Amino acid sequence: MNKVFSVARFAFRELIRSKMLYIWMVSAVVFCGIAFLLSILSFGEVHKIFLDLGLVGMEFSGLLVLILSVAVTYNTEFDQKAIYLQLAKPVTRGEYLLGRVFGFFAVVALVVIGMGLFIAGLVLFVGRGSVDLLFVDSGLFMLMEMFVLTTLCLSFQMIGTSMVGVVLYSLFVIFLGHCIGQVEWLLNQQIADYVKTILRIVRFLLPNLEVFNLKDRIYDPNLVLGWSQWSEALLYAFAYSFIVFLIGWINLEKRQFE
Amino acid sequence: MTSDANHIRVGRWIVPIFLAAFVAQIWLADRLENWVHPVPFTASRSGTLDPKIVSSLRAAALLTGYKVLIGHAFWIEVIQYYADWDNAVDHFSKLYDYCRLASDLNPEFIPVYTYGAAALAYQLHRLDEAVKLLQKGILANPKENRLKLMLAAIEYHYQADYKTEIPFLEYQISQGNAPTMLINILANTYMKVGRDQDAIRLWQHILATTNSDSQKYEAAQKLKVLYQQIAAGDKTKRSSK
Repeated sequence: MNKVFSVARFAFRELIRSKMLYIWMVSAVVFCGIAFLLSILSFGEVHKIFLDLGLVGMEFSGLLVLILSVAVTYNTEFDQKAIYLQLAKPVTRGEYLLGRVFGFFAVVALVVIGMGLFIAGLVLFVGRGSVDLLFVDSGLFMLMEMFVLTTLCLSFQMIGTSMVGVVLYSLFVIFLGHCIGQVEWLLNQQIADYVKTILRIVRFLLPNLEVFNLKDRIYDPNLVLGWSQWSEALLYAFAYSFIVFLIGWINLEKRQFE
Repeated sequence: MTSDANHIRVGRWIVPIFLAAFVAQIWLADRLENWVHPVPFTASRSGTLDPKIVSSLRAAALLTGYKVLIGHAFWIEVIQYYADWDNAVDHFSKLYDYCRLASDLNPEFIPVYTYGAAALAYQLHRLDEAVKLLQKGILANPKENRLKLMLAAIEYHYQADYKTEIPFLEYQISQGNAPTMLINILANTYMKVGRDQDAIRLWQHILATTNSDSQKYEAAQKLKVLYQQIAAGDKTKRSSK
């Protein structure tokens, strides 16, 4: 496990040194500016609107940092062959991939939590408003989503043969992962059986990112968020990440570095 | 040789673990799906709005996972529409459809129903649409008492049943934590029946307590009108003496 943490520390430092956090700072200012502008233009419950838009900003900046990190490191690791150096050390390929997942997730979590604290601070100390507990829950669910996506994007990095391909796969999965509710809706409609079969397969293969999308249910009066939902969402995130990690690991093992 | 043996040993465990995790994620995804989407998706008709815009907005909201963001952005569009006096020519004919679409995008955002219904009922005098909007809100948010109270208040108001409306609203407000919109309705009703001092008391309360600039502005305007009426009334009394 020490080796995994060494790789994680290395990946974390690599991303921090690549000035990835500047993106976060710019996005924090831009998203907070947009959120502030929209909330003052709106009518009714201005603080709530600012917090909702802040949650969107948290997710956007997390995704932005993740996608850019994956793109930048694909270039250094695979095109510039920096991976040779790491694999030459006494680290298995599985440990290497797991370490990178933890390192990348640490950077993304830093961005999401930092942005969340910034937004909550603005509401509490500048706007003199209050922050609902659901805001914290939404942020934590977002972190689970980011963990699944970090594993997924890094596994794509192990499978993909070009940086563009990796970015496109990642973006498509993020987009399609939010469509699962509509796939479910389609499955209940009168459509051809073969289409239903395809949709069922798609539903089981794609990550159900709506599970973690608590920010869209923040006003839902019927929302029940208890231990059962927390444990199942956590287990789901772990199970899905585990499968994706194994696929990425197998691909990394098969990959020839010459 | 040792590396191959390790691979074989790991490989034996990996396949069953992989299958177990896959089955677990399918089972959990199925269970969590019912938690996330308990109510099947139903959309209102586009009405007087361009169906292409309506379907594009709905698709963007449902497919991207940013329903609340798009809902808030569209709600600002609704406010801009109502604030634009060019639209007064046709008496803001699209307001109901706009509010209905905003509530489709963000069904649990209560201000869409309260402000939308207030504008439709008290300013545009379109009771049917206000009632339909509030009924939609109550169906989507059955535990939200503000909407039920407002529906009752509008019904009484339209029947000009002020004798029932005033005690009803007074009782609801005395329970505490009443929405400003309800106090606003009562203050306007007081003005209608000539209870100016009670109206002044409520407008002053709104002016002192609300965070909304527009509500503060409205309260200040109403107070100005009431003070002018009282001053004019005093003058008339003095001159008649």
